[in-house]
Amino acid sequence: MSIHIFGIRHHGPGSARSLVQALQGLQPDLLLVEGPPDAEALVPLLGHADLKPPIAMLVYAEDEPRRAAFFPLARFSPEWQAIRFALEHSIPLRFMDLPQAHALALEPPSPPEQPEQPLDESTTPVTNADQPPTLLDMPWIDPLGALAAAAGYDDGERWWEHMVEQRRDGADLFPAVLEAMAALRAHTPADRDQREILREAWMRRTIRSATSEGFQRIAVVCGAWHAPALAEPGDAASDERALKGLARRKTAVTLTPWTYGRLASASGYGAGVASPGWYDHLWEMTSTGLTPSVVTTRWMTRAARLLRDEDLEISSAHVIEGVRLAEALASLRGLALPGLQELDEACRAVYCFGGDTPMQLIRTRLTIGEQLGSVPDDAPLAPLQRDLQAEQRRLRLAAEATWRDLELDLRKPNDRDRSFLLRRLNLIGVPWGALRERGGTGTFKEAWRIEWQPEFAVVLVEASAWGTTLVSAATARACDSAAKCDDLPGLVAIVNQALLAGLPDAIQQLIGLLQSRSAQTSDVGQLMDALVAEDRQTRSSLIGSLRYGDVRQTDAALIGHVVDGLIARICVGLVPACAALNDDAAQAMLNRLIAVDGAIGVLEREQQRQEWHAVLARLADSPALHGLIAGRACRLLLDAGTLSADQVARRMGLALSLATEPAAAAAWVEGLLRESGLLLVHDDALWALIDGWVSGLSVEAFQAVLPLLRRTFSTFAAPERRNLGERASRGPALPADRVRIVQDDLDLERALAVLPLVAAMLGVKL
Amino acid sequence: MTDAILRQHAEQQFAEELAALERHDTRQRPPHWRLSPWAVTTYLLGGRLADGTTITPKYIGNRRIIEIATATLATDRGLLLLGVPGTAKSWVSEHLAAAISGDSTLLIQGTAGTSEEAIRYGWNYARLLADGPSHAALVASPMMRAMSEGKIARIEELTRIPAEVQDTLITIMSEKTLPIPELNSEVQAVKGFNMIATANDRDRGVNDLSSALKRRFNTVVLPLPDTIEQEVEIVQQRVESLGRALELPAEPPALEEIRRIVIIFRELRSGATADGRTKIKSPSGTLSTAEAISVVNNGLALAGHFGDGRLRAHDVAAGLIGAVVKDPVQDKIVWQEYLETVVKERDGWRDLYRACREAL
Repeated sequence: MSIHIFGIRHHGPGSARSLVQALQGLQPDLLLVEGPPDAEALVPLLGHADLKPPIAMLVYAEDEPRRAAFFPLARFSPEWQAIRFALEHSIPLRFMDLPQAHALALEPPSPPEQPEQPLDESTTPVTNADQPPTLLDMPWIDPLGALAAAAGYDDGERWWEHMVEQRRDGADLFPAVLEAMAALRAHTPADRDQREILREAWMRRTIRSATSEGFQRIAVVCGAWHAPALAEPGDAASDERALKGLARRKTAVTLTPWTYGRLASASGYGAGVASPGWYDHLWEMTSTGLTPSVVTTRWMTRAARLLRDEDLEISSAHVIEGVRLAEALASLRGLALPGLQELDEACRAVYCFGGDTPMQLIRTRLTIGEQLGSVPDDAPLAPLQRDLQAEQRRLRLAAEATWRDLELDLRKPNDRDRSFLLRRLNLIGVPWGALRERGGTGTFKEAWRIEWQPEFAVVLVEASAWGTTLVSAATARACDSAAKCDDLPGLVAIVNQALLAGLPDAIQQLIGLLQSRSAQTSDVGQLMDALVAEDRQTRSSLIGSLRYGDVRQTDAALIGHVVDGLIARICVGLVPACAALNDDAAQAMLNRLIAVDGAIGVLEREQQRQEWHAVLARLADSPALHGLIAGRACRLLLDAGTLSADQVARRMGLALSLATEPAAAAAWVEGLLRESGLLLVHDDALWALIDGWVSGLSVEAFQAVLPLLRRTFSTFAAPERRNLGERASRGPALPADRVRIVQDDLDLERALAVLPLVAAMLGVKL
Repeated sequence: MTDAILRQHAEQQFAEELAALERHDTRQRPPHWRLSPWAVTTYLLGGRLADGTTITPKYIGNRRIIEIATATLATDRGLLLLGVPGTAKSWVSEHLAAAISGDSTLLIQGTAGTSEEAIRYGWNYARLLADGPSHAALVASPMMRAMSEGKIARIEELTRIPAEVQDTLITIMSEKTLPIPELNSEVQAVKGFNMIATANDRDRGVNDLSSALKRRFNTVVLPLPDTIEQEVEIVQQRVESLGRALELPAEPPALEEIRRIVIIFRELRSGATADGRTKIKSPSGTLSTAEAISVVNNGLALAGHFGDGRLRAHDVAAGLIGAVVKDPVQDKIVWQEYLETVVKERDGWRDLYRACREAL
């Protein structure tokens, strides 16, 4: 009886290669692989002809799919190769890690600290936030990093790559790994993490039971870190003690297609590898048995062809020089073969003219790769589908193939949740319900038309990559599309959608994004639109969401911060942005000006109001401004009480003076008076000014400005127009003092005589 | 005599370090190199030799960049150093040439007026008229000398050179020879010859390199400093040595003030605050480390000659605005926005905010 421990690096092609060689030499009669026993039922499926890696085994708590663990497998993963070996040779295979039934029942681990890679929140999918460490051995301790540092390398990945992954002689590798890890573990306190202790105890228990069943040659495939702990079986009783009375919850498993992009640590998956595409390349090269230098030339050629497909001129001479530089760099650094870093540097220096953009292409398309796996049709259901089914049952909203209309009253919790559900599905890309136009202005009712289509099932499986629940998937998806959206109003639309779909986590990230986008935008018009424009889908504006939306308190504070920033930037940039506008642009700016003024009024913050009024005052006094803007600035200041009617009259006199082009003067009048002529009805000074100006125009000039004036006056309400007409027909306004004289002539006694009758008619008592 | 010289060549200033490196260098040297590639990188990045000689760092930054540059020169490809102004391109080029060939003077300054003669060869016309074409009448360019002596030639501002003149380099780089048709002869490059060109990132459009030429260079982009600490270190080192050279009366600047300037430069350059929370707009200028150095120097001169000798906020304010606001309209908005949204609210920056508001 013999037990052989193979300490591997998860997703390491060098480990995979050495493992396959070792297994072929050993011909074991049982394989024990570090993996969740819950997923053992999936193993036969892995041999299915329709299954193509990368795939992931997914174990999740049945009653709470959000608690889930992914176990991705690529073709260069040692575990995958072990499984294939077992299937091909019909050898029994068992997963020996702590079952997820127990692992998911433990308290979620404290978030791992990764000293090397600061956790970038924007790229971390929410689904992984409380995911236990799975195929990775303790990222916060980084055993390889420690060894690499001892060897003088600045990065554990590179060290392992040079020492193990790129070596082609694998014979003595596993004893050496065992020894190195044993030395490393000797310096690490044993009781660091309860979860790790449990995992190793469970693995040892599995090995013990296998030996007692009488297997002769047992191959144990585990992460390098665990190898020493498994090599010394130790005391069975203490393991049993540790494992006694573990909590358990019911789990379900499924297979999902995976991508190299998700496998890469860049997408936030903790146990990922930085360069799956490169490992795939290494695996392919070594499994086809070509000479080592081919790895370099093939890679450089692939990179060249990739860039060439994107219309960058890369000749064969470039490839030759690239390979030479990579090899020179490797020898300068004392390496036998160029590693990924040398190849990257050669690509940058030779192919990309030092630029970053083409390197980005090489990174996403080649180093990470875009392979997408596939799973057979008879694989079990994905958690997102389960979550939807549960929601549908809870909200009594069945998926029907024919359409029907739905009226939702958002004041009722059930209806509000239905609205959330439909909006979240829309965000994920499942347009089950479409919002319909609805009469009335009430904000608490929504009309939907729902119609289920069979293709949605496919979309849901695909969307599983975004998260395991509707909320997390919609959150991730909203954040992703926001990151790709490059105009500010589009981003605001996404923010509004997320607000109305009840996705607080998304709001946090989206607001951050909105903040940074608005800082980068130099187009003040866009900033103003972002603040006040209503987007088409939700018919709500940012300011509206802040003021009236049923947002929670924290969201309101976040949005408030963004709004403050927007207003500050608008105030700084508005005056230059209003310079040199043509008629159309001035028209658009006018509308924005009015909307922003309204928004600032709604916010009711004194300091903002003052700043805004200072900006308006500068607009009102800017000489070369389009009349519409200058006139409206005066009007807004007048309405706010910052300017008195006299001050406005002075500016109007200036704007209407003879030196001004009649068209420009008419625009100024339009800016001042649009939508409301009451000002003219009640203010004699203004009336006199405008009256004098119109009468003073030459015939040609009058004909030129007539359409403009007509347009202005047509925006007044009918009674206002009638008032103005009557006033104009009375001729020049009477001086104020003469009006007073008339009042002095009143005969009080005669007037008083009427009062009793009036009182009787009105039904009041005097 | 040498005391009166304003600035010494790298190989003169660091002659001792180079000699020490040469003594201890046991690694393989490419033909005609004074040092092995390994020793060249040590010379640039600094280190300590077995006998205790300290090699001062010439370039503070990413080790890999210098490694790529050295590896490139060890092959027979040209090296093109690219970067925004003030990222030590010429500095690195000078020291690389000094370390490899012991001679950094084979220099061609690229301008719009650089002619083919400056790159190939010219004629001594008196002799040409007297004796007719002969080797004696030939005036060799730095490039020609570098080829015949197996040294490194340097071209500054390659992209300023008109495109048709740039193309002269193609034969030199690919065939490693310089034909002299007038004498029916040629100069063939000796092993060890190579060239380092520098070009400005921002002006790439002036005379963009033809793809034929581009493909003969390996390009290395010199970035702006990675971390605040690195940049503060660079600024302080340079300010102190420059202050000594210019005999400024002020006391050495407080690290705190340098740090503030570096932070402002970095934030405006990267378009985000140092804590990564807020984005800001970037002005049109490059805001390189070299400019930060000159802002500090400027402030020191102001403080020394007009103030109390201590560097204070109002001494740097004018220099800061001058460095940031290059375009009077756009940059001014950027700067105002930055002042109002970032500087104003930062603890302990009140004095700077006021000084900048006054100066604007």
